[in-house]
Amino acid sequence: MEIIKHGKIEKVDHRHAPEVSKQTGFPSPATHYLEPTINLHQELVLNSDATFFIRVKGRQFLNLHVDHNDVLIVDRSLPVKRNTLILAIIDGEFELIRLQDEPRDSSISIWGTVTYIIHRT
Amino acid sequence: MVALVDCNSFYASCEAVFRPDLKGKPIVVLSNNDGCVIAANKEAKAMTHIPMYEPIFKIKNQLLTNGVNFFSSNYTLYGEMSQRVINILKTFSPKVEVYSIDESFLDLSTVPRDELEAHGHKIKDTILQYTGLPVGVGIARTKVLAKVANRMAKKLPDLQHVCVVDSEQSEEELLKWCTIDDVWGIGKQHAKRLKSINVHDAHDFTRLPLAWVRKEMTVVGERLWRELNGEKAIEMVMEPKKKKGIGTAKSFGKKLTDLGLIEEACAFYITEVAEVLRAQGTCASQLTIFLTTNYHSDYDKQYANRITLKLEVPTNSTFILIKEANKALRKIFKLGYRYKKVGVDVTGIVPENEVQGNLFRPNLNSLSVLSKTVDKLNAKFGKAKVRSSTLGKRMKQWELIKEERSPRYTTQWNELLTVGKCKPKA
Repeated sequence: MEIIKHGKIEKVDHRHAPEVSKQTGFPSPATHYLEPTINLHQELVLNSDATFFIRVKGRQFLNLHVDHNDVLIVDRSLPVKRNTLILAIIDGEFELIRLQDEPRDSSISIWGTVTYIIHRT
Repeated sequence: MVALVDCNSFYASCEAVFRPDLKGKPIVVLSNNDGCVIAANKEAKAMTHIPMYEPIFKIKNQLLTNGVNFFSSNYTLYGEMSQRVINILKTFSPKVEVYSIDESFLDLSTVPRDELEAHGHKIKDTILQYTGLPVGVGIARTKVLAKVANRMAKKLPDLQHVCVVDSEQSEEELLKWCTIDDVWGIGKQHAKRLKSINVHDAHDFTRLPLAWVRKEMTVVGERLWRELNGEKAIEMVMEPKKKKGIGTAKSFGKKLTDLGLIEEACAFYITEVAEVLRAQGTCASQLTIFLTTNYHSDYDKQYANRITLKLEVPTNSTFILIKEANKALRKIFKLGYRYKKVGVDVTGIVPENEVQGNLFRPNLNSLSVLSKTVDKLNAKFGKAKVRSSTLGKRMKQWELIKEERSPRYTTQWNELLTVGKCKPKA
């Protein structure tokens, strides 16, 4: 425990300390140009409350350029558009499809839109 | 106006989001250690011939033969999904009170009257689209009325899960629809009493003289009465209250006879409790430990005891608390019993910065630098990765049975939802 010294007024250090930067040496020429490093999550996940990561198992989606063990970033908030990669539910099973037309088939329901595919090389 | 938004059969709905194959099928979620059913979706609730809330060992066969899908509780998942819902709600109102894991109040005083209905539907549709979770919305003048409206939204299919009560006439209808047993905050005893004096629904209740309600049902009843009469008497609480006591007690996966293992489990619970203390910037001045055998068992010898000790200096240090807990545990532990549960409670909670040491026991919260570092590491690498050695490595021997727990889809990189059927090697 710290012992407090009574009866002594602590000296205030450097009464006349100049109010200038204490920095020594050359200032970095980048000082006014600093920006935060790229944050991948921030770039790839636009709506985190509606985004889910999903792992692909198997090679049956190679025609969609989706390989075994790829991770899909799926955003449920996006409106369904033509010609996008969709995580759909067909007969109670997850399927990946590239949507050509607005789905008219009621047996297909849409879970979310695949916005990115993360592939390990 | 106030809205109450709540998720329908929240735990079961969370499971269903990731299991489209279970659509339209009965789902139940089991309590810690799979003791009993704590949540059921509407398909499961419709199976009225199964006594759903009985201990699981009594109804397991019935559930299995009726094709009910069951899950152990996955609080990591439910908590994360709940946070998503809360975040979305905050885009609809500047004031959101998180009432429980699946219920929130929203202040809608800035929304024009004629847009409330549309606003309610927008909330419901957005949450369903973003998270896959179905919700109900009740909108009315006060919190208690919103709660009743929410109930109505759930029960009357025509409303499509959104019920706005914004006129005197609709308020009266709502109150007449709500039986006295279903009024939020009126317990069984009061309901029985009220019925004996011919108060059968919420409307009858609002017609009682206030003086009578205050005298017979205290200030709690008075607030309900005022709120049901359309007068705001329960404020929105935005900041979660700091807890006055924090505790945890879970049954062991199997009965334990060995003090060492019980110490491990106890240290684990202490670790959890101390994390909560630190997260809210508080210290505990008392610690209670309790230990019990299985009182449901007919053939086991029974023993239960508890001990409370006052800490010399209030603390939130995991290490000090574990040390004290072990002393306490040794005082109440007796050889020769098969223990089912150990529990930890901390009370006398004070703000961290108001803790005073004394001459012989200085405030030891300089240790908290260590604790805080441990918290940071664990937040990054997973629960209890860095821990006191008392915790040991024999968790499997006492941990809860979580046999049917679903993956932690949203928090663990190696437990993600999967798509695709075949599983080729590499």
